[in-house]
Amino acid sequence: MRKKSVVSEAREIQTAIEMIHLGARLQLLENETNLSRERLIKLYKELKGVSPPKGMLPFSADWFLTWQPNIHSSVFADIYRYLIRHADCRGTAAIVKSYKLYLEHCKVTGMEPVLSLTRAWTLVRFFEARMLQTASCTQCGGQFVVHSNDLHARYVCGLCHVPSRAGKTNKARAAALAVAAA
Amino acid sequence: MKANELTTEIKELNLTYLMLAQQMVAIDKDMAIFRLGISKDIADILEVLTPGQILKLANSNMMLCRIRFDDNLIFGMLANYTKDKAMAQSHAAILMAGQPAEEIS
Repeated sequence: MRKKSVVSEAREIQTAIEMIHLGARLQLLENETNLSRERLIKLYKELKGVSPPKGMLPFSADWFLTWQPNIHSSVFADIYRYLIRHADCRGTAAIVKSYKLYLEHCKVTGMEPVLSLTRAWTLVRFFEARMLQTASCTQCGGQFVVHSNDLHARYVCGLCHVPSRAGKTNKARAAALAVAAA
Repeated sequence: MKANELTTEIKELNLTYLMLAQQMVAIDKDMAIFRLGISKDIADILEVLTPGQILKLANSNMMLCRIRFDDNLIFGMLANYTKDKAMAQSHAAILMAGQPAEEIS
């Protein structure tokens, strides 16, 4: 067994704590740190007060293509690309930083964050596996998340061409009614 | 506003801008690079500026920060959105993140 460095372990625990606070699932932590599963479960319980959720991670690539999630994941993906291109952070650090900037964007604009850290991490893995990529919209020129195997020659994004029923969820309707009643 | 007042205001804004930018770089360089829209080289310079250098830099009749929407589309999204504010702002954020960073040649 390789010799363990106390300093690097402390650093990994710090990263794990930060990721747990941002809502990371256990599988993500196991993948991105070298800490043992038992220690991670202990850490999770200590921070959140509950056992980590069991079951599989969300695995669908199609989720990123539906209207609202597509916009949220495109915001995240563009921040991530910017950081990779211009700053020198890579891997987990880049994902965590872009996710924080994404949360900040949601807070400023008053949106509810739809993308979780686990989904953001999955998105980056899908990019690396070339299942998803970004394509530029022919009208606004912005980069949006798309399937790798679709045709993007005349791609128009969901914001330039909003589908007729987009964003009209039960929640949005209830909020509008609450505003009207008040 | 008289020309004299104008230069004082510009100097003050330059000073505030440089100090804030330096602080942002000191807290988290990568996030500052995104927020300020600058390249890593500029961030490196900002990081090591001494207070004296900041004062000298700020003391100018030219503005040291620049408008980031050099694009009618982004300007329209940020300023005249009609219905969905959050979506218009997200759209602008996507477009602005796609813009090139400010670089020194």
